Amino acid sequence: MSSNAIIKVEGLSKQYILNKNAVQQSDTLYGNLINGAKNLRNIVRKKETEDFWALKDVSFEINQGDRVGVIGRNGAGKSTLLKILSRITPPTSGKIEYIGRMASLLEVGTGFHGDLSGRENIYLNGSILGMSKHEIDKKFDEIVAFSEIEKFLDTPVKRYSSGMYVRLAFAVAAHLEPEILIVDEVLAVGDAAFQKKCIGKMNDVSKGEGRTILFVSHNMQAIQKLCNKGLYLNKGTMHSYGEIDDIVGHYLQSGEASQSEFKLPQPQELSYGYAHTVFIEDMKGNSLVEIPVGDDWRARIVFTILKPTPHFIMGFGIVSSFEQAIRTSWSAPDDLVAGEYEMTFDNTDLMLTTGVYSIVIGLSSEQRAFQYVDNVVSISISDVGETSQNKRIVNTQSGLILNPMPVKFKKLS
Amino acid sequence: MNIFRALTFQSFKRFNFSISLKQDKVIINAGLGSSFSLKEILRYKSLLNNLAKRDFLVRYKQAFAGIVWALVKPTISILVFGYISSKINNAESTATNFVYVASAMLLWQLFSSIFSDVSNSIINNANLFSKVYFPKIIIPISTILVCLVDFLISLVILIVLFIVAGQSIHWHILLAPLFILLTIINGFGIGLYFATINVKFRDVKFIVPVILQFGMYASPVIFSTNYYLERMPNWLHWLFCLNPMVGAIDGFKYALFGGNAIYDWSYFIVSICVSFLFLIIGIKYFFKFERSFVDYI
Repeated sequence: MSSNAIIKVEGLSKQYILNKNAVQQSDTLYGNLINGAKNLRNIVRKKETEDFWALKDVSFEINQGDRVGVIGRNGAGKSTLLKILSRITPPTSGKIEYIGRMASLLEVGTGFHGDLSGRENIYLNGSILGMSKHEIDKKFDEIVAFSEIEKFLDTPVKRYSSGMYVRLAFAVAAHLEPEILIVDEVLAVGDAAFQKKCIGKMNDVSKGEGRTILFVSHNMQAIQKLCNKGLYLNKGTMHSYGEIDDIVGHYLQSGEASQSEFKLPQPQELSYGYAHTVFIEDMKGNSLVEIPVGDDWRARIVFTILKPTPHFIMGFGIVSSFEQAIRTSWSAPDDLVAGEYEMTFDNTDLMLTTGVYSIVIGLSSEQRAFQYVDNVVSISISDVGETSQNKRIVNTQSGLILNPMPVKFKKLS
Repeated sequence: MNIFRALTFQSFKRFNFSISLKQDKVIINAGLGSSFSLKEILRYKSLLNNLAKRDFLVRYKQAFAGIVWALVKPTISILVFGYISSKINNAESTATNFVYVASAMLLWQLFSSIFSDVSNSIINNANLFSKVYFPKIIIPISTILVCLVDFLISLVILIVLFIVAGQSIHWHILLAPLFILLTIINGFGIGLYFATINVKFRDVKFIVPVILQFGMYASPVIFSTNYYLERMPNWLHWLFCLNPMVGAIDGFKYALFGGNAIYDWSYFIVSICVSFLFLIIGIKYFFKFERSFVDYI
């Protein structure tokens, strides 16, 4: 281990074995009996399995005080890497050495119990995260102050609002004092003000107190703000590791961060039809991988209708990376016959700030949805590389909606 | 002055940190197994306490009668089985008879609650260890603590019956804690084995109650070991004594009442050996697969 490396990862791989003829769960007693018999048969026979490498031969070293942002698409192995580092699951091969106390925050409020009071949950959650009773006693007042729930300290947390719950959960986690802290995308919960507070707290912890942090997020802004090093994973292998700005640059240029064409999964049960492709384009029909902040864009959805569909409506929604639905729009109802169709939703009137947004699409007939797509299509709005064309957008970090308001301006004297 | 203090505190902290640098080097290797480490368990002492506290608090939260329920179940079984055994033995339903059944029944209930709770403990707490690392053995150990608290509460019944029956106390009673410990070892060893299987095969939750139901009649709970052995062919005697609860219950009765509670010392010793064998097998099996649990949950 080199002199100031605090974590050393060597040839790390993780293999999962997928069971090809896994028996599906059934709802009926008869079905369950048949499944039970099939399961027994599968145990006796050799199962057909398929290997899947979630991580393959990943090696890197992290120095003390480094704040490393782990980036990559869904399924790139980010969460697997964090799980192995935090000793939740063992690697299939390879080796990790680290020095000091490590704490991982893969979820806020692990082990929270609804029937216990806020006070009891602070002790329970704190000890699950690896704090001793003495440490929690010492930090207790700080935790309560940070979470802003003083009045409800002795109320069972099942009576808390979801905001209070998350605040309390994060407050406990934020007061951990390990030498190495591993954080998965847990900041994607809670309201914006609280998120800011959390990022601020993590900033203090890492920069001020010299802790080593590994942080996974899809929010490039948050990563660039918090981290100094980047680790870019691609399909389980390490693409690159280095200074954060370079790595985020690689990632955005690779086109992996966003796409302009999305194939939608076919719904399991076909009824009237299904949407199968979504294109993200500018107003002239050129495909857009990144949408420049302030520019107009359009989503073009291609769908197949299999049989006459009365009162067809398509719904289109934009959801922020904090799971907040920002806008929803519906097509005018129409009766359709079988065929191939295309529908476009133009975003010409709303200027969103930089970030990754997901698109939700719903197809319905007579008020009943027959297809619902979420977590497949995402758009990325950015000002990376070029500043906005719109002179009235000064700063993209000061609000979600950047539409200029009508401003009147005159000299009075 | 303040600056001076801050400085010394800082350097003290730094000194501490460099010490811990040497101590806390962790190496993560491939492989599914791990080993039992008392040091690791002691490091997570506060988690152990808090998990036990959680299970105990949650069990009686929002129950009007609260902890009294810990007394109800054993009281009812003692009354029912005490009455049945006195009828079958053609004896009077005296307090003496009840105190005999009570001693065995409480120990059996300790065993049965540890066995079934430990065997379900791992899957019930999967949400914890799939998100945070800690030695998983903490979970079944905390389960024991909860069962033990219930047992200690229910000991009140035994003490009351002891006084009512006017039982005299021998020096043997000092041995009683040993046999309570033996009961815990039994429940823990077998429970750990089943907890490990339970991770992959959820059939365990159906099998355990069957084993317990059968086991109660194969142990000297309602009737004494004498009663069973006198009615069995010789070759079955050894089989009967392979039941680890025979040693624990007979030993406990010996500690409380003395006399002829232990039918045959060789059977008694065999039963105790089986207890420790189960404990070793349970712990070995658990740690052989400990690290793979999360991939199967």
